[in-house]
Amino acid sequence: MHMSDGLISTPVAAVAAVAAATLIAVAGSKVRKTSRTDLVPLTGVLGAFVFAAQMINFSIPGTGSSGHIIGGVLLAAFLGPWAAFLALSSVLIIQCLIFADGGLLALGCNILNMAAMSCLVAYPLIYRPLVARGASTARIMCASVIACTVALEMGACLVAVETKLSGVTALSTGRFLLLMTAIHLAIGIGEGLATGAVLGFVRRVKPSLLAPEPPVATVRRSAPMGAVAAFAVAAAVIAGGLSFAASQDPDGLEWSVERVAGTSELGNDAAAAVAAGRVQQATAAMPDYDNTLSGIIGAVLVMLTVWGVCSLLSRKRVAVKVKN
Amino acid sequence: MGKIDKALATLAAMERGCGDTCPAFARCTQANMAVTLVYLCLLLSVPLQDVQRLVWFAAYPIVWSSVVGTGYGRVLRRSLYVLPLLAFVGMFNPMVDTAPAFRVGAVSVSRGWVSFVSILLRGMLSVQAVLVLMDTCGFADICRRLRALGVPAFLTTQLLLVYRYMGLLLEEVQTMSRARAARGYGRRSYPLSLWGAMAGQLFLRSVDRAERIHRAMLARGFDGGMPRYTPADRHGSHGRGAVVWALAWTLLLVWLRFGRVCVPFN
Repeated sequence: MHMSDGLISTPVAAVAAVAAATLIAVAGSKVRKTSRTDLVPLTGVLGAFVFAAQMINFSIPGTGSSGHIIGGVLLAAFLGPWAAFLALSSVLIIQCLIFADGGLLALGCNILNMAAMSCLVAYPLIYRPLVARGASTARIMCASVIACTVALEMGACLVAVETKLSGVTALSTGRFLLLMTAIHLAIGIGEGLATGAVLGFVRRVKPSLLAPEPPVATVRRSAPMGAVAAFAVAAAVIAGGLSFAASQDPDGLEWSVERVAGTSELGNDAAAAVAAGRVQQATAAMPDYDNTLSGIIGAVLVMLTVWGVCSLLSRKRVAVKVKN
Repeated sequence: MGKIDKALATLAAMERGCGDTCPAFARCTQANMAVTLVYLCLLLSVPLQDVQRLVWFAAYPIVWSSVVGTGYGRVLRRSLYVLPLLAFVGMFNPMVDTAPAFRVGAVSVSRGWVSFVSILLRGMLSVQAVLVLMDTCGFADICRRLRALGVPAFLTTQLLLVYRYMGLLLEEVQTMSRARAARGYGRRSYPLSLWGAMAGQLFLRSVDRAERIHRAMLARGFDGGMPRYTPADRHGSHGRGAVVWALAWTLLLVWLRFGRVCVPFN
């Protein structure tokens, strides 16, 4: 589900980043207002727990494959939605920066798709109403499966919308949505079962850790969903509008030449130019190829040369350093 | 548990940083962060059909990783991690967009294939830029600089806490997995019930650890407020050299994006 930078355009990334930053600021202010001083280290350590737990895979029966937890609903069940959102956002930032999991510009999208959908939407609107005080293990399991599946499906829908708005995929929006939601349905059920298994274990061993009420003492003024929905609509409108505003005009040199000569394609009939053209025709490795392909091959070769030269220089530098 | 070893090795490499193999001016965190941001914005603004220009953008991670001393091969290997998702999203383009882009002899290459390659390149290059940034500056220093640049303390504190305890909990997972493997009689997969108990144990240990940390913080005067960081100057400002380094890269990148890059085989 981690989106890479290759899948989004700059306007979509910018709008998502603003929305995610606003939600992080709100979460920070909510966590600061709480009277619990242990929430700061608890949020940090449980963020690290989610990352560590992702390293243990569980087997999915009948498929031969395995999966791991994502952790949004699980964190929210222990920390409350806002602190959990902060913890999961921290994990996503670290995964992006250190483990190259998800792009840096796509970070806003990833935070919205994964952290916001699970902690701020699925947990308060689905999990919490379903799990009342003293709920049975079976009820916790059912609530986890439903909440995690809904969170993942909403995240998958957002991925499809963001990719489509960025103009990256040639698939129609409907087909792409269908594909993404179908794949993430199975993943969501797996994530829900895993979340339910951990919550069930904790309920059995240390039930005091499971609180049905949000541990963050906040004053309820207005539903956060309004803000989330507003940001989503703004993101869709602005990103869609901006992506269509991309310039198709000629570059500066072509524009200038066209203004002066009336055409952007200038010929040169001088003897030297004609002779040079003949030499070029004779020596060009791929004279009949299209500009696009020859450009790509040329660029790749130059980059390989640059890589080779840089490797040689850096080896030389290290060798000199070792010698000294 | 190769995955855990790999993650621990990555964290250890991050702690080491680039050391003194990198010139001081190239280690300036603010300058490198600014150049990386410019690079990503310009890279993503390249049209999908302009693969040639994207290839030129590889100059940045190639040269920088060599300057840092990481080597581009290592960065390239680490960036391959993102390929599956990129390939999944891009693989439909060749099926849908079949209009010809260019010909190679008798074979016509469609615009869909060009955009597919473009998606892979964009994703890999953007990840490589971030990897080189992290190899140069280190995560902890970037957090401190972010705080100095005005990012709220609660976020940088959370990032540093998660980063700090990630390594410790990973070691704990490794110990638990080793103990389980020693008693598992060769069974590799974890059934869900066993996985639940194991992850639950890890969770309880994490909560206990958080309580110990909280008590230690209280003993040192923690009153619920977030601590402020005074950034160490190890990767700090390096004056004119850093400014020239950043400006040179920015100009080069702007030229690569908007300039007329030469085509060697035309």
